Amino acid sequence: MNERYKNRIELLQGTLDLLILQTLLWGPQHGYGVSQAIRANSGDLLKVDAGSLYPALHRLEKQKWIGADWKISENKQEVKVYRLTAAGRKQLMKERSRWEQISDAIGGVLNPAKKESAS
Amino acid sequence: MKLWWLWRKREKELEKEIQHHLRMAATARMERGASVRDAQAGAQREFGNVGLAKETARDMWGWRWLEDALEDLRYGLRVLSKNPAFTLAAVLAIALGVGINVGIFSVLNGVALRQLPIPRAEQVVSVNQVLHGRFSRNVHGEGGLFSYPEYLDYRDHSHVFSGLTGYEPFVEATLAGSKAEQLLGALTSCNFFEVLDEHPPLGRGFVDSDCAVPGANPVVVISDDLWRRSFAADPALVGRTIMLNHSSYTVIGIAPSRFTGTEVIPSAFWAPITMQEALDPGGDLASDNLSWLAMLGRMRPGLSPEQVRADLSVIAGRIDQQYPGRTTSLLISKATFFGRPAEREVLVPIASVVLAAFGLVLLIACANVSNLLLARASVRHKEIALRLSIGASRWRLVRQLLTESLLLSLIGGALGSLLAFWSFTSITHFVTSQLPHEFSALSVNVAPDLRVLAYALALTLFTGIVFGLVPALRSSRPDLNTALKGDGSHSGSSKKSGRFLRNTLVGAQIAVCMILMLAAGLLLRGLHYAQTVDPGFDMKNVATAFFDLKRQGYEEHRATGFVQNLRERIASLPGAIEIAQAETAPLSHDWSADHFTVPGLAAKVAIEYNHVSPEYFSVVGIPIVRGRGFEAGDGRDGSGVIVTESTARQLWPGEDPLGKTLREDTGREYSVIGVAKDAQVSHLGELETTYLYFPAGPKDNLRTYMLVRFASGYTAISKGIRDSVQSLDPNMPVDVVRLEDYLDVWRSPSRIASALSGALAGLALLLASIGVYGMVSYTVSRSVREIGIRMALGADSAEVMRLVVLQAMRPIVIGGLIGVAGCAAVSWVLSSMLFGLNARDPIAFISVPCFLLAVSLIASYVPARRAMRVDPMVALRYE
Repeated sequence: MNERYKNRIELLQGTLDLLILQTLLWGPQHGYGVSQAIRANSGDLLKVDAGSLYPALHRLEKQKWIGADWKISENKQEVKVYRLTAAGRKQLMKERSRWEQISDAIGGVLNPAKKESAS
Repeated sequence: MKLWWLWRKREKELEKEIQHHLRMAATARMERGASVRDAQAGAQREFGNVGLAKETARDMWGWRWLEDALEDLRYGLRVLSKNPAFTLAAVLAIALGVGINVGIFSVLNGVALRQLPIPRAEQVVSVNQVLHGRFSRNVHGEGGLFSYPEYLDYRDHSHVFSGLTGYEPFVEATLAGSKAEQLLGALTSCNFFEVLDEHPPLGRGFVDSDCAVPGANPVVVISDDLWRRSFAADPALVGRTIMLNHSSYTVIGIAPSRFTGTEVIPSAFWAPITMQEALDPGGDLASDNLSWLAMLGRMRPGLSPEQVRADLSVIAGRIDQQYPGRTTSLLISKATFFGRPAEREVLVPIASVVLAAFGLVLLIACANVSNLLLARASVRHKEIALRLSIGASRWRLVRQLLTESLLLSLIGGALGSLLAFWSFTSITHFVTSQLPHEFSALSVNVAPDLRVLAYALALTLFTGIVFGLVPALRSSRPDLNTALKGDGSHSGSSKKSGRFLRNTLVGAQIAVCMILMLAAGLLLRGLHYAQTVDPGFDMKNVATAFFDLKRQGYEEHRATGFVQNLRERIASLPGAIEIAQAETAPLSHDWSADHFTVPGLAAKVAIEYNHVSPEYFSVVGIPIVRGRGFEAGDGRDGSGVIVTESTARQLWPGEDPLGKTLREDTGREYSVIGVAKDAQVSHLGELETTYLYFPAGPKDNLRTYMLVRFASGYTAISKGIRDSVQSLDPNMPVDVVRLEDYLDVWRSPSRIASALSGALAGLALLLASIGVYGMVSYTVSRSVREIGIRMALGADSAEVMRLVVLQAMRPIVIGGLIGVAGCAAVSWVLSSMLFGLNARDPIAFISVPCFLLAVSLIASYVPARRAMRVDPMVALRYE
């Protein structure tokens, strides 16, 4: 029971990490920007809860997959801007291929006939 | 501190980041046309729980434990400051316990653990050897020392040292002057000051040519202390000569003021080892099988003691080849005072007993604090149960409670250590002032160093865990049902187990206290015994003076002349009754022994002996019980020997000892001409040992004790003896003492030990009675209702009090019995200081427990009286 629960968390976490890393691939961004980008790019389908977003950002920062710099925004405010690091880029590739595998696998399970006909 | 600052910074940044998010979200809403207030509220709503987000983000930093610890700390401080009486009592108990332990440890550290006070001492190692197998070797000093040829071999063929010095410690010499002065110094190889990196600021150290030819270079470096004390710090002394043992030495240098030598007893002078013949005839430069030199080497940079051992072992192996059947193993250790194996052998057992005794007092203090915590835990029962019921984990609670006890122990430990650092000088002063006067200037640095601080910290943390763990585990045991019902403290099972724990603690306290008090009682009895002992000879009205004429440059003929003249002069002094000479004076810590073959006995026997003049027996009052004493005609070449009664009994049981023979290893035979009464002339407290008296001859005049029986007026006779010596040889050192004074030397270790153990036992008693008092008053206050009911039902107050006291006495009696048994099992370690008193001396073993019992009765009676005054009406309404 416990083991399965842990797996579910890992999957979800992994997905959020993937989304964050992918968002930062397009350029440095602050926390609010990341959440807005995910929301916009998913056609308003995925709303990232701020209570999960910031812990995730801090965790990724601790793992050195993303870096953070303090910058001054247009309206003269200090803003923490996250950027992708080289390690983060590698991690993104890994997560992407894993995600594609999973999505292929799930696709295969959902549409077995299609797969058979294709082969 | 840096961590804290970093944490604050992170915290601020997180706050800023979240505020920025909210602002951006609000701005976006306003752009979509919402009012400022709506936009802000909407952004807040969308964001969700800010606190939770922060908390979760913070968890990501991996600092959760720190936060918890800080929270525990804050909470702990609050709890402690809310109960000042409790905190004060606990802190004082811990401060006392930790303080005395840190104090004694810093003394020990100064005596035996610190590196030698020389530059870059960490590079310097002490080299010692242990010989195994079949070998015979002469020892002058300690068995682990080296011969001069061995030293040269190691010095010249090792590759690991930038320098290796060999020296003979504890060389005595007499400094001539207006008043002859006895000095302690060292004979050293000529690289001594180079290796130790101590260069005389005035004059020079030794150079190689000083050690080139034996006996050719009478030069000496003297200590700063001697220079100031005896030469008024005269800089012109360098280059002048001083007289040591009747020969002149040129002072070539004054040692640096902080350099007191390599031994714990400061050296006054250093002379080249090649002057050995003149300064210490016991050594021998030529002998390759004589242990007399200690070695200190300065390692080349980057080498470990293990590498040193490997390199030197090659040389040791080569030396062993000359001695078939012998193997040498080398010991390489950091250079410290008391560092040689022979010295450690003496020190380690003493230090362990002392540390154990001090540790026991700390244990009693811990038990007191534990008891206090237990008592308080039952008051806090409800708070803890509440926290458990709303989901705190037990581990979390134990941690919280342990934080509190660690906080207590840290405060107490810091306070105690500070007190110790302030008071250590007086402790050292006390101990050194009790030592015989040659040791009084011990160079001990008791200032705290890293090792002492580490010891203090470790002890403090250990203390905190020891006294905190049991109460923490017990009080965090989930027992929600009864506790929350509001009457936790009165629930049956928890109350019973709590009492059991408290009783165990008090019992343990009494047991430990009993051991310490019994030890103190035994030592005091031993001291009393030593003060009143009858050694079997008459030491009243005997003055003694020791002469080492050989060392003063006399040969046999001149010595005999000197002694005869001196005896005539002393005999003519008013009040002098009779004069005797002996190789060793009774109880003078000066022994001779040899192996003898007794016809009829297979094994050789080792027997102590003395060479005495005919008058000896009447001067010291030892009667001859059979046969005859010595006469004027008996000399060294005579074959008569006088044995003691015990010797006769042990060697020839049931036979007449007169006429029996003893054979020396040389083949020389002696026959028994008389039997002397047993007397404790050799070791105080040992009566039934074997002992032989041989007649003294002219050869014995070279090194002799003069014993003078006088009628009255010691001051006059001692001055008379001194003046007689001065008139014969103005440079002859003379120290006249009473025969009783030798007894004092025997008593001094026992005096130190009984003073220390008495003080410790006093502390232990104080702490244990506080423990008993605390336990009884707690029991009374917790069972006020029970007492009230009993009284309401008609029990009279005396009966109630008897019940309370009896209940309290049970753990005390059990603990006391355990303590008595424990002490009886280990009291033999004290036997060397009991002078023949049984280590299970019935007087000590009866009176001490009675005393402790009486004190604990009082300690429990006082709070128990409160139970008598309980008003049943008030009691029943209580709580």
